[in-house]
Amino acid sequence: MPRAGVCGCWGGQVLPLLLAYICYLLLGATIFQLLEKQAEAQSRDQFQLEKLRFLENYTCLDQQALEQFVQVILEAWVKGVNPKGNSTNPSNWDFGSSFFFAGTVVTTIGYGNLAPSTEAGQVFCVFYALMGIPLNVVFLNHLGTGLRAHLTTLDRWEDHPRHSQLLQVLGLALFLTLGTLVILIFPPMFFSHVEGWSFREGFYFAFITLSTIGFGDYVVGTDPSKHYIAVYRSLAAIWILLGLAWLAVVLSLGSLLLHRCSRLWQLIRGLDLKDGAAPDSEPRSQKIPISA
Amino acid sequence: MGSLKPWARYLLLLMAHLLAMGLGAVVLQALEGPPARHLQAQVQAELASFQAEHRACLPPEALEELLGAVLRAQAHGVSSLGNSSETSNWDLPSALLFTASILTTTGYGHMAPLSSGGKAFCVVYAALGLPASLALVAALRHCLLPVFSRPGDWVAIRWQLAPAQAALLQAAGLGLLVACVFMLLPALVLWGVQGDCSLLEAIYFCFGSLSTIGLGDLLPAHGRGLHPAIYHLGQFALLGYLLLGLLAMLLAVETFSELPQVRAMVKFFGPSGSRTDEDQDGILGQDELALSTVLPDAPVLGPTTPA
Repeated sequence: MPRAGVCGCWGGQVLPLLLAYICYLLLGATIFQLLEKQAEAQSRDQFQLEKLRFLENYTCLDQQALEQFVQVILEAWVKGVNPKGNSTNPSNWDFGSSFFFAGTVVTTIGYGNLAPSTEAGQVFCVFYALMGIPLNVVFLNHLGTGLRAHLTTLDRWEDHPRHSQLLQVLGLALFLTLGTLVILIFPPMFFSHVEGWSFREGFYFAFITLSTIGFGDYVVGTDPSKHYIAVYRSLAAIWILLGLAWLAVVLSLGSLLLHRCSRLWQLIRGLDLKDGAAPDSEPRSQKIPISA
Repeated sequence: MGSLKPWARYLLLLMAHLLAMGLGAVVLQALEGPPARHLQAQVQAELASFQAEHRACLPPEALEELLGAVLRAQAHGVSSLGNSSETSNWDLPSALLFTASILTTTGYGHMAPLSSGGKAFCVVYAALGLPASLALVAALRHCLLPVFSRPGDWVAIRWQLAPAQAALLQAAGLGLLVACVFMLLPALVLWGVQGDCSLLEAIYFCFGSLSTIGLGDLLPAHGRGLHPAIYHLGQFALLGYLLLGLLAMLLAVETFSELPQVRAMVKFFGPSGSRTDEDQDGILGQDELALSTVLPDAPVLGPTTPA
């Protein structure tokens, strides 16, 4: 009876998860609405005031002429041209910027501040992503596996002498702490310093980037008024790759630990339910490997 | 490949990755550079003519200041055109689409949180929501894969195909189905509904959405003369498309990843030496954050019912 199996699967596991997911979406939408509606209205009103003040100050301009001008500017901006820069500014499609864009495509971040505007560019982008995304997944997978292989195994406490246990736990703590500092703390500080953001904005950029959401409201190396070093965006691309690999390891360890904990919980429940079991017949709980 | 040292293998993989990115950069530079330069020159000319026209009363610094304000507003999804009576970006359908773009990591960028509270909530919401959405995807995949494999099994039995051939046929069939139903059909609908985009652009948008790249350069926006009800209906349709399409895409990718040819290609870079059961599963399923690979069931370690 395969149908019964499918129905059981839906009723037992999927339906509650699906309902929880929909509720979570609605909850998020409601909270964002409450938080952002006012901020947006404020921002819009502020801009309207600025525009009115501008028209009052410069009476030779009429509303329609200004609107048309702004329209042209925005159309250019959507295509990646920053009108604030002058013609001496580096191109959006020089090698460094193109390399950074290629990186955001294969990692599926896709900030959207830069996108191909030609038909040939769009077609190439599709095929490039079709090849590049799987390659990136394989690359990060093996990089993550390599990193994980160098981590120690967190065995049962009684299996090792005290100092060995301590070293293992310290090793894991050091890996997580150093990783957090090198991936999630220092880069936002550096980006904040270079871009003129607050640390909070820098951290928000780092999180949105490494979770591969990539809104594009904060992107490094895009301010035409700043003079960046040549390798700045390339360094950012390397940070993204390393960050994604590190995150893959951390999430892998997390899922592994959760899986082991659930096994342990099943074991404990099994022992609790077992009637009249002798104390010495208790089976040894399994090792909890942190690495392969 | 197995004879290579691990560091050499990783180096080779890194080189391949960087080479692929470099190649992409070179091609994109060649394709996009000239049009971008042309557009830049056009904008500069437009700016110059506007300034020349209003030189009598408009200093360049004032115009720069206005441009800064326009771009700041636009970067956060606040339209700089028209008046303030425009529809809000943060009504319920728009906010729902935004939350879906977070949980699917598509992140179009057509709107982004403005307030500090919104940004902080966004980080927490994504940190909690991404693992939850991956768990849902894992559960759905676990249920749906057997259903989708039935036609393939039936054809394999009927035509007496070898397992490898049957797997290839099944993957090709599912891939074709997903491409037609979730790529071509929505692209045709989008092309028909939205008059100002070509079919190619519509396909490009659909691909960008389902691959979770989500460049957001072709998203339908407010102020196109659409009735609010129709606009919101469109947003709900996009929301449904995003969630269903991603699931279909994952199912197709999962089916393809099971093919012996694909496995052999991945194994080419695989670590040599003995591997434990946990190593057989990659860290990543389909995406950088995919914990959706269903872990093997725990062995029964003891009786779970009273003796």
